Amino acid sequence: MDEDQAQSAFGFHGTWREFAPIAFTNLLLIIVTLGIYRFWAKARERRYLWSRTRFIDERLEWTGTGLELFLGGVVVVLLFILPYIVMTQVAQAMILRGETAIGVTLTVIPLLAIFYLMGVARFRAIRYRLGRTNWRGIRGGSNDNGFRYGWSYMWKTTLGYLAFGLGVPWAMVSLWNQRWRAMSFGPMEFTCSADFSPLMKRYLLFYLSPFLAIIVAAGAMFALALGFAIDFDGGGGFDPENPPIGFFAAIIVSVLLFYFVLGFIWLIYFAKFYRVVVGHMALGDLEFEFDAKTKDWIKLGLGDVALLVLTLGLGFVFLGYRHWKFFVIHMQAFGEVNVDDLTQSTTKRARHGEGLLDAFDMGAI
Amino acid sequence: MHGTCEVPAFWYDGISARRYEGVAVWSGGDTLRLRADDGETMDVALGDLIFVERGVMDGSYSRKADDGFRLSFTGPVPEDLAHRLPRGQNFGKWIDGLGLPKAAALFAVISAALVAIVLTAPTWLGPRVPTSWERKMGDAMIGDLGNRLCHTPKADAALAKLVDHLDPDRPVTRVGIANVDMINAVALPGGQVLIFNGLLQEADSADELAGVVGHEIGHVRERHVMQALLRQFGLSVLLGGINSDLGSSIFGIASMSYSRDAEREADAFSRKQLAAADISPVGTAEFFEYLKEESGDSPEWVGWVASHPMPAEREQAFRDAVIEGKNYKPALTDEEFSALQSACKEDPDVEEFSFF
Repeated sequence: MDEDQAQSAFGFHGTWREFAPIAFTNLLLIIVTLGIYRFWAKARERRYLWSRTRFIDERLEWTGTGLELFLGGVVVVLLFILPYIVMTQVAQAMILRGETAIGVTLTVIPLLAIFYLMGVARFRAIRYRLGRTNWRGIRGGSNDNGFRYGWSYMWKTTLGYLAFGLGVPWAMVSLWNQRWRAMSFGPMEFTCSADFSPLMKRYLLFYLSPFLAIIVAAGAMFALALGFAIDFDGGGGFDPENPPIGFFAAIIVSVLLFYFVLGFIWLIYFAKFYRVVVGHMALGDLEFEFDAKTKDWIKLGLGDVALLVLTLGLGFVFLGYRHWKFFVIHMQAFGEVNVDDLTQSTTKRARHGEGLLDAFDMGAI
Repeated sequence: MHGTCEVPAFWYDGISARRYEGVAVWSGGDTLRLRADDGETMDVALGDLIFVERGVMDGSYSRKADDGFRLSFTGPVPEDLAHRLPRGQNFGKWIDGLGLPKAAALFAVISAALVAIVLTAPTWLGPRVPTSWERKMGDAMIGDLGNRLCHTPKADAALAKLVDHLDPDRPVTRVGIANVDMINAVALPGGQVLIFNGLLQEADSADELAGVVGHEIGHVRERHVMQALLRQFGLSVLLGGINSDLGSSIFGIASMSYSRDAEREADAFSRKQLAAADISPVGTAEFFEYLKEESGDSPEWVGWVASHPMPAEREQAFRDAVIEGKNYKPALTDEEFSALQSACKEDPDVEEFSFF
């Protein structure tokens, strides 16, 4: 089948009006079940979003269920959260008994375990989502269980930060390549060979901006102090022991501004990161591209914030919709798919959902 | 009953991504025969189908095995066939069965009951937990506190005397001097009451000390400690449902606080025991006065003032408890009191608390 080049391979034709009844009933049921319904809510939301997503000529289908997400959550509580609570309690008791060494060890082990499991969780969440995504009756998956990826996640992230944080882009790209190379759709394996070096310029901007900000802030403070000294010359000038309230307000505002601006500088980097890593992904003869620019990401972020603020937080039920739509409309694919060669995946599927990822509260793909 | 019907449809077999177009043929039986335009056929059992979605087309169906098979009708389905086809889930099996409003109301009632149980359980369940259990729990959670309690033979004897006065029949309460330089006293799980060394140094007389220790023993006796433990546990379970946030409210022992009612109860207990032991409540009242004046001046005070509100009201209550003309006995002799005050200095191998 030939790819229609004029039209994007991916399309999204959901509307928020159609989604609203799903979102609001989900919200209601989440509230009255004290949050337990969120697993089923997530499955309903995905069933809708996937069904309104077109790839070439056919819609996607989400085959995951709320029950399996719930079971994933139960597994996490039983296998990880309960042992974690018990261990930290034991650690505390040990420290109180004066066995500081044992106590500290018992505190550190769960933290290391969480670090490891965060990597495993990210891997398994992608595997789960591919395994529950059907296109023309064919699904994806992975033959890897992600346990080895957890170790890579640990050492690559650590190494990235050890190099004064300068290795972070390398770690991010390398881990992205590693986890997607383990994934497949139908009989075809994903390839991904992104290189981190094009990211370094933007990363350095992010990396150096705090230093720049400090220099600017120091200059501004100096000027401000000087200004006070001149303006209130008769009144005694700027007394460093007893600065005026406006001075503190200015500091608080600039600290908030600093984090806000830093977030956007991170988006400048992240937009490029996403374009680079997705741009180097391929599945058989299909090549992918992600065309969201920095300003698109900023618009998405500001929209999210506005939605949450204006609805006093209840708008969170629409965030999944917004993010999925953003992801789909910026996703492109080029090349050909031979539907006769695209046979069913032989990968194994876990019977439970992405409980770990849910527990660590991490985002999509 | 009726003849064979044919409904235009397309399907995927779940084996390859090839799309089959053709008709679904039904002759009134339990199977549906799918006949593609190119002549290929496949049979599916009606009982094996699951409804996938509505709204986009006349309905899509997959198979129970979730093997990728997918059938979508593109033309109108005759009513008697539609009756045989499964209907889908919307909110989930139970909720669909009940209907959304009923199910939501039912869940709301159950949730409200659960919240009510969790929030009130400390008050009615706490006092019913046997004290021996509480002691075992406390021992497991904090043990004997290692070597951080100050001991000298004289101080131990003086403390034992004081506690004996205040709580003559004490199966659970243990009182110790913690080597912490803070003006505070706490009641921990397992009937463990700690007087911080900073408070000992700041107290002017054994009478002042007696009121504070009596107050903390009151927390143990009135089962406030057990109630606080239960409340904390219940809240973490409740919040766990909404957000499986790791580690929240785990480090709660030090941050345990009691309600104002509980504080009043503990004060009342303290006054009762002081009266029974013929110790004057004036000392305690003076201590509260001192707290009132000092509060806010230095962060050292935050511990007691924040968790024990309204020193003025409490000072008054202790002053009111003084009986004119009654011949009070000092809680301890001067010698015994100074033995307590120097306990931490003179204990040769006491360790520093480093985590409070």
